[in-house]
Amino acid sequence: MSGPIELAPWQIGAAAALVLLNGGLSVWLRLGLEKTLAIASVRSVVQLSLLGLVLEPVFAAGNPWLVGGICIVMVVLASRAAAKRSSRRFPGIVRSSLLALVVGAGSTALLGTAAIIQVDPWWEPRYLIPMLGMILGNGLTGISLGLDRCLQQLDEHRAQVDAILAFGADPWEASRPVVAEGLRAGMIPILNSMTVVGLVTIPGMMTGQILGGTPPLQAAAYQMLILFLIAAATAMGALVSVLLAARAVFDETGRLRPERIQRA
Amino acid sequence: MTSFSAHGLARSVGGRVLFEGLSLQLDTGETLVVRGPSGSGKTLLLRGLAGLDPIGAGTMTLDGAAPEQLGWGRWRRRVLFVAQDPPVHPGTPHDWVERVRHLKAQTSDLPTNPVMLAAQWGLAAPTWEQPWTELSGGERQRAALALALASDPAVLLLDEPTSALDPEATSAVEESLRGRAVIWVTHDSAQAARVGTRTLELRARP
Repeated sequence: MSGPIELAPWQIGAAAALVLLNGGLSVWLRLGLEKTLAIASVRSVVQLSLLGLVLEPVFAAGNPWLVGGICIVMVVLASRAAAKRSSRRFPGIVRSSLLALVVGAGSTALLGTAAIIQVDPWWEPRYLIPMLGMILGNGLTGISLGLDRCLQQLDEHRAQVDAILAFGADPWEASRPVVAEGLRAGMIPILNSMTVVGLVTIPGMMTGQILGGTPPLQAAAYQMLILFLIAAATAMGALVSVLLAARAVFDETGRLRPERIQRA
Repeated sequence: MTSFSAHGLARSVGGRVLFEGLSLQLDTGETLVVRGPSGSGKTLLLRGLAGLDPIGAGTMTLDGAAPEQLGWGRWRRRVLFVAQDPPVHPGTPHDWVERVRHLKAQTSDLPTNPVMLAAQWGLAAPTWEQPWTELSGGERQRAALALALASDPAVLLLDEPTSALDPEATSAVEESLRGRAVIWVTHDSAQAARVGTRTLELRARP
């Protein structure tokens, strides 16, 4: 057997029926999740169908401008999602997340396809778009968790920050522990998945490649590469975003301005 | 000899004026006691003077230099604020001292050992190795004050620095602070009479 078995709509329907079972459970146990579950399922169908419909002609067209445009849209949407997920916000959070994702995810995805896998041409959509998607998905989680922790610490531990400022600390010195804490929080999901990968989980990309007929060792090699790229992108993205957040909540006199941190 | 002055200070919170047109002058050896009912802006005044909170209007100088000329970091280190309820930091007071000692603004090592200083106020040396979370309010107060005093600022801005201390420790602290330039917020009129060379009364405003 070489390629994957082609799926007919009824087969997707059969899998979706299992979600209906969850909905039934939610109604029975009064969890109130059935509506969210239904919306999430419909969104999955619509979004993934659209993605499939868009990618087919994009792959066929082989136009670098089109690929570039799609990548920009992906990065912009991811930065909005990252900012939205954080429970605390600051003025300029979307711009900061965008910069963090461009620096973290954008550069890593380009480096991955152009310099490491050495795809020819480097913008080959079959490689660049799915890789950027995976890196962005993880990167935005890292950024939102990092921002969340960093802003929460600055918000709740103002007295600690003020105490060190009182001894002449500059904003960087005063916020360094908070930045480190934010970076740690942002890195936890990817570190966790790197720890259990292959033992407990078979990641989506490797599963997909195996189903597509790639030999397991080759699929594992790709998975390793993408994990390292994701880890690098998440670390860079989280670092850039928490540094920008820390900078945004101090004023030009180096004073912490807690009123700039808004709870969502 | 330090000379600290502020002119025409104003501060309001949520449209309520706490103080305006406030001026003060302080030289080495003087303790200006700040008194007033709760909510009259005593803490905000100290924090404003320290450059930790915005001041609505007015100017301040230390030996003729404004904070902008001196640099805000250097200003804060020289005009040092100590909170009434010092925060629980991560680690121990000893870790905190090390963090402060390694700040870029601390150009020279601490002129005095804070552990020796606080020992005079009844804070045992091993306390500095205990986590902040295990310290009482009075222990935190003495550790924070000792580090502030040990760093030898030009002006100390103290917000009820002995509110959690027993009478012996209180009088030892008062003795250690004598001869410095201090702005001292206190609700205790006996203490105000003991330490104050001058008094500033803030009024409650509607």
